[in-house]
Formats: sequence, structure tokens, C-alpha cells
Amino acid sequence: MDISVDDLAGGITKLVLRGRFDTTGAVVVELPFNKIATEKQKIVVDLSAVNFLASYGIRVLLVGAKIVKNNGGNLVILCPDNNVAKVLKTAGMDALIPVHQTEAAAIAALES
Amino acid sequence: MVNSEASRLVLRKDVAELKRLAGWIEGFTQERTSPDVSFAVQLCLEEAVANIIMYGATRDDPLEIAVELERNGENLVARIEDNGRQFDPTRAPPPVSARSLEEAKVGELGIHLMRSFATGMDYERRDGRNRLTLRFVEPPLSAAE
Repeated sequence: MDISVDDLAGGITKLVLRGRFDTTGAVVVELPFNKIATEKQKIVVDLSAVNFLASYGIRVLLVGAKIVKNNGGNLVILCPDNNVAKVLKTAGMDALIPVHQTEAAAIAALES
Repeated sequence: MVNSEASRLVLRKDVAELKRLAGWIEGFTQERTSPDVSFAVQLCLEEAVANIIMYGATRDDPLEIAVELERNGENLVARIEDNGRQFDPTRAPPPVSARSLEEAKVGELGIHLMRSFATGMDYERRDGRNRLTLRFVEPPLSAAE
């Protein structure tokens, strides 16, 4: 699994994750993810290239969202694939972390 | 192997084994199940085996985990057997749903995901081993397909 960072206009950071967000993948991205969550206030986590999500991946997303919230910021999720979206919903995450289907909607949510 | 409808994998107590497990499940389900069932099997077995690797070890014996997959008509059955400490995931309480990010607890989701993505889950403790059986049924094809 890999992670890349794009700085968008308006102080928004887009964090793109790719691959399997399982235990093996989550261990790889956990530290860089937490570092960005600590440093940035408006974060879009793009999951459109993530094809698998397990509980350790959810844990990384949840911890990251908590860190950002604690610092007065916001974290939103962009465009998960069907089964990944089902895992987020089953875990109750969709009620805690906003999920958007387009980048424009995700950005609008962070700008409001 | 190609024509076989059952396969077995033995894993050690090492988180790195989860990668081998994922590849093995993908290989088995690729031509035998729908992508949705393949996803569900990968999710449930990852959660079950990760729990055993992280919490199942005892002082007495080295941990051994055996996983079997069997395709039987429209059903796929996964069996996980280990000699670790007794643990019945079917009796674990459901997670408390959080109303806000602040009060959300981190963790305790794996068994909830297994219950939700498997069609059925049975547990028994026999001969000092945990035996967990998970069943997956293909959803009926919709008229459009």
C-alpha cells in the first residue's frame, strides 16, 4: 500500500491511499498518516484506489480523524469503492467521518 | 490444484503471515466466487486470523493456525482452527455505536465486521482447539445480470 500527499488550494491537503488497507497496509501508512493528521487542518482522504479495507485500516482513519478534530480541523473521505464503502458503513464510520463521492463535494465540505 | 474445490493453509504466529493468507484466499476465490464473496471471505479471515495472532498465544505451545476453504455448490465454507487460548467470537458483545468522533472508541470492530460480512458463524472448542466455521452464500443474481 502507498500514500501520497497533494496540497490543494485553500489550505486543503489531499491524502491519496492506494492498495489494500488491511493490517499489512495499515502498518505501512499509519505513521505518515498520523504525521499529516497532526500537521494539517483540512484533509481529504482519497480512498478511490483502495480496493480492500479491514479493521486496522478503519482504526488508522478513526485515529487520524480524532487528531484533526482535536486540533480544530476536519477530515473527510472521498469516493470509496462499493465494498470499502460497505465496510465503513458497517463499522459505523460513515456517521463519524463524512464520506463524499466527488472531490468537489469533499472540498466544498472542508471550505464551509 | 486447479480442479480441487478445497484448500488448506497453515500459518505461524506472525503478522506477516496475513499477507500470505490474503494472496492464498484471492487465488482460491478468483475463479470460484463473485468479487463480493471474495471480498467478504478476505475480510472475515483477515479479522479472525489477526485476532488469533495478536491475542491467541499461550505459554504452553507454539501457536498453530490452520485455515481451510471449501467450495460446496453455492456455498463457500471457511474453517479456522487454532491451539491458542479459548475464545468464542460468536459470544463477543456487539460494539457500542458512537454518536460523535470524540466519544468513538478505537478498535473492537473486527468481530462485528465478521458477523456482518459472513452469512453464518459457528464456534466450538474441541480437543484444546478453537474451531470457527464461517459460511458465505452467493447473493442471487439480479434480473439485470
